[in-house]
Amino acid sequence: MLKIKNLQAKVDDKEILKGIDLEIKAGEIHAIMGPNGSGKSTLASVLAGNPGFEITGGEALFEGKDLLDLAPEERAREGLFLAFQYPVEIPGVSNMTFLKTALEEIRTHKGLPPLSAKEFMQLLKQKQELVELKTSLVNRSVNEGFSGGEKKRNEILQLAMLEPKLAILDETDSGLDIDALRVVAAGVNKLRSEQNAFLVITHYQRLLDYIVPDVVHILFEGRIVKSGSKDLALQLEEKGYDWLREEVVGG
Amino acid sequence: MEQGIFNSTYQSLIESFEKDHLPERSFEDETLLAKRAAAFQVFSRKGFPSIKDEEWRFTNLNRILKQDFSLRPPSISFAKAEESIAGLDACRLVLINGVLAIEQSDVLPEGLIFLDTQAALANPSYSQLLGSIAVDDNNAMLAFNTAFFKNFYVLHVKAKKLIEKPIHLIHKFSEAGSPSIIPYRLLVIAEELSESTLIETFHSDGQASVLASYVSEVQVAQSAVLHTHLINAAAEDLNLIHHREVEQFKTSVYNNSNLALGNAAFIRNNFNCRLKGSVTETNLLGSYITNGTQHVDNHTVVDHQMPNSNSMELYKGIMMDRSHGVFNGKIFVRLDAQKTNAFQQNNNILLSDQATINSKPQLEIFADDVKCSHGSTVGQIDEQALFYLKTRGISEERARKMLIEAFVLDVHSRIPIKALQEYVLQLLQAKLDTDSLVTA
Repeated sequence: MLKIKNLQAKVDDKEILKGIDLEIKAGEIHAIMGPNGSGKSTLASVLAGNPGFEITGGEALFEGKDLLDLAPEERAREGLFLAFQYPVEIPGVSNMTFLKTALEEIRTHKGLPPLSAKEFMQLLKQKQELVELKTSLVNRSVNEGFSGGEKKRNEILQLAMLEPKLAILDETDSGLDIDALRVVAAGVNKLRSEQNAFLVITHYQRLLDYIVPDVVHILFEGRIVKSGSKDLALQLEEKGYDWLREEVVGG
Repeated sequence: MEQGIFNSTYQSLIESFEKDHLPERSFEDETLLAKRAAAFQVFSRKGFPSIKDEEWRFTNLNRILKQDFSLRPPSISFAKAEESIAGLDACRLVLINGVLAIEQSDVLPEGLIFLDTQAALANPSYSQLLGSIAVDDNNAMLAFNTAFFKNFYVLHVKAKKLIEKPIHLIHKFSEAGSPSIIPYRLLVIAEELSESTLIETFHSDGQASVLASYVSEVQVAQSAVLHTHLINAAAEDLNLIHHREVEQFKTSVYNNSNLALGNAAFIRNNFNCRLKGSVTETNLLGSYITNGTQHVDNHTVVDHQMPNSNSMELYKGIMMDRSHGVFNGKIFVRLDAQKTNAFQQNNNILLSDQATINSKPQLEIFADDVKCSHGSTVGQIDEQALFYLKTRGISEERARKMLIEAFVLDVHSRIPIKALQEYVLQLLQAKLDTDSLVTA
């Protein structure tokens, strides 16, 4: 589904990704772990098409298409989704208009007719139950006045509504208490299938108790330095990132 | 010699005053004719204001006075004002090139009268009020209007009357031959304990080539409530210089929204509220969305003269292409106006490198126990929000539109009439459709 080869990117002349190789197949969950500043969020931003980053080399193919050649909205329509680490508050844009417009654009791209108002509300209700987002979204602006936990659930709600092929969760666990974390993880587990895939970016192993990855990668100074099974996450949790530093730099 | 503009339009106006204009006005009483003569002196001395006049620093009238506008007797026009607001239940009054089109106007509800020029000037109490709310001693454009206005209308809401149906005054400008200057005015009297709504919309047919000089004087008597809305939806053939002077008395409420959402080439609004009584409430909303080479200038004055009054002013603007916005908001708090609460906010978004906004808040506070705040911002579209929307599959253009609509929503959402709100949204969306927001 996603094939990344030697991807390099910089921001403000600072090289952050120094050659990433990664392949994710349908039905898989990959986790990327790494210390602060290793480039985890940059990778997520670059894949989603954030214009703040400059690609300096390498390639990324998504379902055979050159991802780096597509605008952010085209990537989304092709089935890529980024759950933001810091979801943006947009005063004045209603949640309903936002979700409706996004769904409509993606359905149009798939050649599907727009949902009726009734169908939309039914779908929304069902998906809100899935992520246990009880707050009414009607008459509220996107993420405005939402608690940290509500914002993260709102990201997963959008994920559930838009049904992407590949979802990147960028530190979705940060700032979540254990109950919210369980809810978010349960939502993701219900959404996973043989047809889709997840890339879970996290600093801590805790989330991976609930969303069990098929592969864990360790990102360090802009490169994936180690890949392995879910046990790698446990190992990392136990030994911390210092161990890695010694191994990589020393080796 | 004053530092005004004394060009050929000015010359021809000066010449026509005694030759053509005064003979036409022979039916007017002496008091009014004396007012016209005094005003004419002011205008002839000062000329059209130039950018050397501090009040016109950012707005160059020379630009629109490049072509010669002439003052001609208003011809009866057969143009039809098709403009109506879907779903709005209102009494329509239609002015075409400043002239009341009676056959296109509705019958007014009881408790309210609307008079055209002849009837209004026949009543000395109205002609005496004329020019006494908006005093033109030193204001050349106001003086020009007083000297030269052809038509004068009065909207008079009687005491204790609650008029639930809004009055919709449609200002339509249509093809008038050569470029015309059209001076006309309105007097609104809201008597004690009355409540009413006046909606004014401006339209043009695209071939008008008009410089309209419109003066509205508004008196809001004790405990009266008056809601007014000014919505400009005209085409680029309209140049409008509007002066509104409002006087508010004790415990009265005045709300206005002033929205420039059309394509008029040039708009200058002078909007002055004199709060002459205590415990008054004044809410002024404004928005201006400009593109091409449009120029929209809002000058406002909120003048707190007595204690315990509240005023709130919120103006938001979006400038595209090479358009130019001006906001100048003055707040006076006079010595007697203790416990004043005055709030002013002006926020702007520039969508192009060539667009300009001059935003200037001015506070002059002479009382010592007051709460005043003001703020002015100029910015761009929030790139983070834009990216967020795009990552959900929303196109750049649509995302930009959503963010622009959101930006002015806190102005437009305060319009209390739902049909009007929808009309405003339609105008806004049509406006945003005319421009390629992506390349902006």
